[in-house]
Amino acid sequence: MTRASRILEFLWSGWSGLAALCLLAAVWQAGHEAYGPFILTSPLETIQAIGVLATSGKAWEIAALTLQRAVSGFALVALAGTALGVAGGYSPATMRLVTPLITVLMGVPPIAWIVLAMIWFGGSDATVRVVIVISALPTVFIGAARGITTRDPMLDKMSEAFGAGPVRRLFGIGLRQTTTTLFPAFALALGTSFKVAVMAELLSNAGGIGGALALARINLDIAQALAWVSIAVILLIVVEYTLVQPVKSEIDRWRHAAQPWGVKR
Amino acid sequence: MNVLDISDAGHAYLGRTILEGIDLSVAQGEIVALVGPSGCGKSTLAHIAAGLTEPRSGRITRHYARHAMIFQDPALMPWATSASNIDYALRLAGEKRRDRQARLAAVADHVALTSEDLTKYPVELSGGMHQRVAIARALSIQPDFIYFDEPFTALDVALRRRMQDLVIKTCADGNLSGLFITHDLNEAARLAHRVAILDTRGSGILGDRTPPGTPRTRTDAQVFDWVQGVVQDDPIFRHIHDVDERQIA
Repeated sequence: MTRASRILEFLWSGWSGLAALCLLAAVWQAGHEAYGPFILTSPLETIQAIGVLATSGKAWEIAALTLQRAVSGFALVALAGTALGVAGGYSPATMRLVTPLITVLMGVPPIAWIVLAMIWFGGSDATVRVVIVISALPTVFIGAARGITTRDPMLDKMSEAFGAGPVRRLFGIGLRQTTTTLFPAFALALGTSFKVAVMAELLSNAGGIGGALALARINLDIAQALAWVSIAVILLIVVEYTLVQPVKSEIDRWRHAAQPWGVKR
Repeated sequence: MNVLDISDAGHAYLGRTILEGIDLSVAQGEIVALVGPSGCGKSTLAHIAAGLTEPRSGRITRHYARHAMIFQDPALMPWATSASNIDYALRLAGEKRRDRQARLAAVADHVALTSEDLTKYPVELSGGMHQRVAIARALSIQPDFIYFDEPFTALDVALRRRMQDLVIKTCADGNLSGLFITHDLNEAARLAHRVAILDTRGSGILGDRTPPGTPRTRTDAQVFDWVQGVVQDDPIFRHIHDVDERQIA
């Protein structure tokens, strides 16, 4: 399958995404009609609020700040989690040492880390990034470690038989097999990054979308709050489909090789 | 001259001795088939000889320049096309990009892979084609020694025969030597110059026998008669069809 037809197929699959969003909007509208605009503004009003925000340069700056924090935090956690996970996957001793720590990390609520990070770093980028890394690390770690432990040992034997050393085996054979579990973990971690970024901003008064949400709360401005939430979701979708999905579809090309065009499972 | 010498090799796995006192040699241009019942350590011995597994004792001397290996599981990378799978071995062998292209085309032609097959991923190919690609991958690096680790066991009879013919043709053309692991005595008798028999419990090579003629000239009738003869009369083949399905190796 050529790259052009893959891109077309990908764009075509956007229709199902659009259908899902329309369903959500319908449920939202029903909620609006049942509880009134003070509890839940209608989707249309929210879109209008987003439109108003889109015309102001200040709003773009706020969104860019959150985007920068979420993406840089995600990049950090992707690197650290993959490195640790791969090490854990190859070495059972590392795995045994790290697994309880991961459980501890998972058990501590992100809110506790936000409080600690605020004390350590104040209301800065570092606070948000640290909380992102701590919250999303278990997911990425498990994704990478699973990928390595469930790899096909025959492929390692094969590449060794043809003269590959440990480093070439890691990069050519081992890492390539982590993608099945690593990419879902990345998608989860990216979502966590945005959620945690907004939450940390809100609580640590660090500006960004979280800061704007705090302001909307003070003003009891539901339309504004929902508009910012929608903007955060839109940012996540944009990053997911420009950063994670293209890489994933390029790497997973072979999985779709035996499927006819347009068939969805 | 011998291209492979294994002397007094032994191996243990989880404290259990699975190979002991193995002496085996392969001469230049010779295909030696190593037969024995399932689970007697044949594959382990091949992996030891190829340097994939460290022997617990004994010495392995290799006088060949470059080896290749064909496994029972074709061990193709599912994310790579046939061409990339073959190219992987060429890259590991340190061949230059331009030479790799030419080598790939030549070897594909040799094992009858079309240019369309080469662009396909393993999921799009049948089991026989997988093994064909694995053979092409092994031949592409122009080895002078090939380890065959029960390569055709999972194939059906007709396909297995065709693959055996391919091996016979290749080994007779190039000046190849090889160690062919199999539990199928017919297969061994068809394509080997010499058949060595491994003990049921891996304690030593029981002996070796030479089927008539050479693999190239040997007829099916000769193979059949020879196999019938040794299975009935030769004591070292007595346990060749023993199976202990509880044993893992």
